Amino acid sequence: MAFRLETQNGITIGIAELDERLDAENSKALQKACGDWQQQTPFLVFDCTKLDFIDSSGLGAIVSCLRRSLEKNGDLKLAGLNAKVSMVFELTKAKKLFSIFSNASDAAASFAASRQP
Amino acid sequence: MPQPPLRHPGNHNNAMKTLIAIKEQHQSWVRDAFPNMHPLLLPLCNKPFIEYLIDFAILAGSREIRLLSDGSLMEIEEICQTGSRWGVELTYANIRPEDGERELLHKNRKFCNGSRTMILNGYTFIDYDKRLDYRVLANHSATGPIASCSTGSIAFAGSPEPAADDNPLPALRITPLDSLRSCYHIAMQILETGAERYVLPGYGSEPGCAIGRNVAIAKTAEIRKPVSIGNNVQLLPGTIIGPMAVIGSNVIIDKGSSISGSIIFDNTYIGEQLEIEGRIASGNTLIDPESGASVAMEDPHLLTGIHSATNSATLLRKTIHALAAAILILLQAIPVIILYPLLRLQGKWKNGPITQQAGLAETLAARLSLDRFPLLPKVLLGQLAIIGSAPRSNSPGCRPAVFSYAEAEDWPVTGSDAAIVERYHAVHSTPFNDIGMTIKALINRPHKRNAGAAA
Amino acid sequence: MTITETTGSTHTIVTICGTLDASTAPDFRNSPAIADPSRTVVIDLDKMDFLDSSGLGALVGVLRRKQEANATILLSCMNPPVRKVFDITGTCKLFHIFDDTDAANDYAATYLRGR
Repeated sequence: MAFRLETQNGITIGIAELDERLDAENSKALQKACGDWQQQTPFLVFDCTKLDFIDSSGLGAIVSCLRRSLEKNGDLKLAGLNAKVSMVFELTKAKKLFSIFSNASDAAASFAASRQP
Repeated sequence: MPQPPLRHPGNHNNAMKTLIAIKEQHQSWVRDAFPNMHPLLLPLCNKPFIEYLIDFAILAGSREIRLLSDGSLMEIEEICQTGSRWGVELTYANIRPEDGERELLHKNRKFCNGSRTMILNGYTFIDYDKRLDYRVLANHSATGPIASCSTGSIAFAGSPEPAADDNPLPALRITPLDSLRSCYHIAMQILETGAERYVLPGYGSEPGCAIGRNVAIAKTAEIRKPVSIGNNVQLLPGTIIGPMAVIGSNVIIDKGSSISGSIIFDNTYIGEQLEIEGRIASGNTLIDPESGASVAMEDPHLLTGIHSATNSATLLRKTIHALAAAILILLQAIPVIILYPLLRLQGKWKNGPITQQAGLAETLAARLSLDRFPLLPKVLLGQLAIIGSAPRSNSPGCRPAVFSYAEAEDWPVTGSDAAIVERYHAVHSTPFNDIGMTIKALINRPHKRNAGAAA
Repeated sequence: MTITETTGSTHTIVTICGTLDASTAPDFRNSPAIADPSRTVVIDLDKMDFLDSSGLGALVGVLRRKQEANATILLSCMNPPVRKVFDITGTCKLFHIFDDTDAANDYAATYLRGR
C-alpha cells in the first residue's frame, strides 16, 4: 500500500495504491493505515489498478474509510477498478456510494475542480 | 371429420429422419464456464438446449431422431432416454471430431435408410416459431444446407418432394451459441418473445410469467414481467425479481435483493440486499456476459452454490477406502520405519518410479509400493481415494487416488490411454471391488516397473 | 467368444460373437487380421454381448498399432450396452463407428483405398 500526497489547487490529496487482494487478512491493516492518512488529509483517492480480488470485509473496510472522510468533510474516491472488482461493488450496491474514475490522476483532479469558485 | 391429407404422398414408409450432430470443439466454452454441466443441457430460459433441437426436429416432421457426438452422451441418454416423452424415437451414436456431413450420413446409413434426412449440425440456436409448419420446408428444400452460421448449419439429404404449391417456405435463422455472451442474449430473447415461439417450461396465469413447481414467494416480494422461474425456488421478503429475470431451479434469493436483466443458474444462493443487473450468476460465480469477466465469491453470504448432501453410497465408499488405507498404513509402517532412514541417507527416497540401478533396499521399497505411503493419510481424511485416477489428475468426474485403476490393470500407466480405464472404472466400480483392484495394483505395479526397465 | 474373419481385397471383416474381456482378449489379439498391423479391419459387434475394460484395452491397443502402420479399425452395429462402454471411456472418438456393417465395408473399400 504505497501512499503519497499531492497538492493541487491548494488542496492536499492523499493517493493510496491498494494491493492485489483486499480480504479479511489485510482489511484491518487498510483501516488502520487509512486512519493515519486521514490525519494528514480527508481528501483521499484509492488507486485500485492492481486490486484483483475483494471480499465483503475488504468492501466493509473501504466503506468505513469513506464514512470517516465524509465525517471530516472530505471524500474518498476510487480509481481504476477492473471488471471483477467493479462487479463486486455493483452487486453489493457499494458502487452508488463512491465517485469512481478510470485513473488516479482524474480522481485527484476532480477534487481540485470541485474547489473552483 | 375428414383427415388432413398426408404430407408424404411419395414415400409413406420413409418418414423424415433427423441427425443432430454436436462436437466438443464447439462446446468447450461451456465446459470451461460450467464444468459440471453437459453442454447439451445448457439452460436457455430454463429449458435445456437439446430440447429446442428436439422440438424443432418434431416441427419439421421427424419421428426418429439420432443424437451424434464426439463426446459422451450418457448424461443426455439418462435424461432424454428413448424420447417417448416427446413421442419420438431417440437413439444415440458417436462420431469423430473430424467427421463431415458425408461421414455422418455414411456412419448412420441404416438409420437414414434412404429417406429424407435433416442434419442439425453444430452448437447453434435455431430461431424457430412453433406456430409455423416446418414440414413444408423439410420436404421441399433442395438437398444441401439451408441455413448456416459460424458454429453450424441445417442441411438436408435425400431427394426432396417437388413443391406442390407456391407457398413460400418459412425462413430460418440460426445463431451461433459460441460464448457466454450469445448464451445470455439468446436466453433474454427467448424470455422476451418466447411464450409464443417456443414451448417453455413453467406455469403462469398471464403471459411473460412462467413459474415452476414448489416456488415460495414472500408477500412482500415483487415480480416484474417478463420472468421465468424454475422449480424449488424461494423468494424471500422484499426481493424484486425482474424485469427480464431467469431464475433456475433450487435457487434462494435472500431478503431485499433485486435481480433484473440477469440469469441465475440452478443451485445458487443469492445473499441479502444485493443487486444483480445484466449478469449471469451460477453457484458462487458472478459473470459479466458482455466482457466475459467472472468473479468467484469467497463470501458465502453473498453468493454460494447449493449442494445436495453427500449420499450414503459415497459415505460407504469413503469408509471402505479409509479402512483399506488404515490397513495399508499398518502393513507398511514397519518397512517404512526401517527403509526410510536408509534410503533417505542414500538420497534415493523419491515419490516416483525407481531408477534402474536399484539396490536391495530400493527394490524392496518399490515392491511394497512404499513411495505411496505419504499419500495414505490423505485417504483417512477423505481427501483422496485409495484407488481411482492418478493422484495428480483433476479433471471433472475423476476421483484422485493413491493408486490408479490403470496401475491395477494391464494398461499403460501414463498418457491419455490411462484415462480410458480410469473413466471405465469411475462408472463401473463398487466400493468392494475397489479393494480387489487395490490389491491388484499393489501386485502389478512392481511387475510393470520391471517390464519397463527391461524394455 | 468366437471370431470369424472374412477377408476381402482391401480389408477384412471380423465378427466377434460373445464376450470380450480379460480371458478372451489374448485370443482376439492373436486372430490373424487383428494381429497384422497393416490390415484394416471392420469389426462387426452385432453379436458382442459384453465388453469390459480389458477387452476395450485390447481394442485400443490394436487400434494404436494399426494406426502406426497406416491401417485402422472400423466398428459396426454396436448395441447400446457396448456403446455405453465406448461413450463413458471417451474411446468413441478414436474409432470410426457405423450403424451398419455394409456401410462400414463400403467406407473401408472406397475411402481408405483412396488414401
